[in-house]
Amino acid sequence: MGLSTEALLSLYYDMVLVRRFEETVDTYAKKGLIPGFLHLSIGQEACQVGAIRALKQADYKFPDHRSHGICLLAGSPRERVMAEIFGKKTGLCGGKGGSMHIADVMVGNMGNNAIQGSIMATGLGTAVAAQIKGTEQVTAIFIGDGTVGRGEFHESLNLAATWKLPIVYILVNNHYAISTHTERAHPVKDLVEMAGGYHIPGVIIDGNDVEAVYDAVTAAVARARQGEGPTLLELKTYRWQGHFSGDPAAYRPQEEVKTWKDRCPLKRCRERLLNTHQVAEAELQALERKAEEEITAMLAFTLASPDPAPADAVQHVYVGREVAGR
Amino acid sequence: MRTLSFRQAINEALHEEMARDERVFILGEDVARMGGDFGVTRGLWAKFGDRRVKDTPLSEAAILGVANGAAFAGLRPIAEIMFADFITECYDQLVNNSAKAHYMYNGQLQCPIVVRTACGAGFRAAYHHSQVVEAFFMNVPGLTIVAPATPYDAKGLLKTAIRDDNPVIFLEHKLLYDLKGDVPAEDYCLPIGEAIIRRPGQDITIVSSMKMVHEALRAAEQLAARGIIAEVIDLRTLIPYDHETIAASVSKTGRVILAFEGPQTGNYGAEIAAFLADSCFNDLKAPIKRVCSLDVPVPFAPVMEDYVLPEAADIVSAAMALIGD
Repeated sequence: MGLSTEALLSLYYDMVLVRRFEETVDTYAKKGLIPGFLHLSIGQEACQVGAIRALKQADYKFPDHRSHGICLLAGSPRERVMAEIFGKKTGLCGGKGGSMHIADVMVGNMGNNAIQGSIMATGLGTAVAAQIKGTEQVTAIFIGDGTVGRGEFHESLNLAATWKLPIVYILVNNHYAISTHTERAHPVKDLVEMAGGYHIPGVIIDGNDVEAVYDAVTAAVARARQGEGPTLLELKTYRWQGHFSGDPAAYRPQEEVKTWKDRCPLKRCRERLLNTHQVAEAELQALERKAEEEITAMLAFTLASPDPAPADAVQHVYVGREVAGR
Repeated sequence: MRTLSFRQAINEALHEEMARDERVFILGEDVARMGGDFGVTRGLWAKFGDRRVKDTPLSEAAILGVANGAAFAGLRPIAEIMFADFITECYDQLVNNSAKAHYMYNGQLQCPIVVRTACGAGFRAAYHHSQVVEAFFMNVPGLTIVAPATPYDAKGLLKTAIRDDNPVIFLEHKLLYDLKGDVPAEDYCLPIGEAIIRRPGQDITIVSSMKMVHEALRAAEQLAARGIIAEVIDLRTLIPYDHETIAASVSKTGRVILAFEGPQTGNYGAEIAAFLADSCFNDLKAPIKRVCSLDVPVPFAPVMEDYVLPEAADIVSAAMALIGD
């Protein structure tokens, strides 16, 4: 349908921001300053940026395992997303979450989760709650292609379709579950074919086209909000890096990686802005600098932030019940 | 006072809490139109309708997922898992989400759910309809486990569990459903974490829960005939458990039997044994003794099932051995 220049510029800014964010945390992980695993979404920015823009803050978002961008753009103080990944006290979860467990309930980020498929079941619950309470909130569940193999995929789609729950399933198909290509894990070429078994719409989207993602998620959200039930969207994309920061990803042919890098979602959006929307090169460069500056400020905040107190580890085990420390 | 069955007491607690709090809803397999496989949820669907009493497909992970997510969104779900053995199908939700959501997101989410489930053997239903499951959850901080032995406790503890802001696994031993007991008509709640002394004594302590409380009471009766006065403690809640009541009793008697239905290795009683070894070592006059099932699955043929399960006679023999008649 074609977004306004202003809207597309804003999406482009967000994609640049996510790209720089991922590059930055990757750098700091390799310096040994970020504990644990880091699953980077470089190459998949259009999926995260387009989808999150189509959702309201009041909607429930369940980000997937490769979801820094979603957490970054959900409406939270962004520096607190980075601080969380570094395990700082100022992080959204006080350093208890890290890269794989980031929530900000105030903006409807219900938390990413390190068990693939788990949120497919949990997301049913916020949708049921919206239905019981009669609110217009939609639940967006982000999953990867690997999660299609989990039993929760079936249980979730089956129940959501039967109960007509207000859910949008955003399946980000980057073609690999760690090292295993989708073709070696699932019997169908297009995972979205699975939707047919549940009599719900399934839509294939070019996941490297931010406008296409935005449009598709917007339509699915509208359908869910009107009480017409869930939609399964399959966003075809690719992660440029390995499964985690530091994974050399030797299991992928180099020409495949190159083909997908040529389809860079940022480059495509940039070219559209230059050619179709007649935006000046200087304006784009200014935007890119602004994103750099925002990242620099986040990083300064993060590096200046204190670690949590060790004994914070005994807080929040139970509501209203103490657990002994050392 | 009125007499109700264990089943009726739970049913009444569900009716009262649903009437009291709009946020409470029930879901599970066959809980609505049929009123539950054991008839525990009878009448609720007729009274509260589809919106608050929901039959689900055979999807335990989805049942717990709905419960967790709805709790995160401010409701107070009660999920029924028809047989406790099926809880393995939603183990991920319970262990990784219910138990941890409040913690890992630093207190932003609360998970006020109750998972009611029918457990226990002696029903001739074997492997997949007979297990007690408390030990499956003993190493999962964040969960609360309630395990009543009487209708009075079942009602009072379920009402507390529903009002609690933490995820509670509420164990209903299926052989207790027809047990009758006094239940007052007026509203009451019982605290989580408090044991009760079912029978006072000074010679030996028997700590137990659920159906094994009744085996322990039978054993105490038989021991009394031999001049041994046993103190029987019903834990009522397994996590958290009442350290003080157990320790005070064992310090007094110096001898203890831990009578719990599950297989011996890794049995719930192992935790109590470790606690007592730590806290009451100097008061013990004899080794800590466990009375449990054998380390085998629950078999089918009645003679085999009876052979595997612990009963009053096993407690009596253990007590006699400890006291040294």
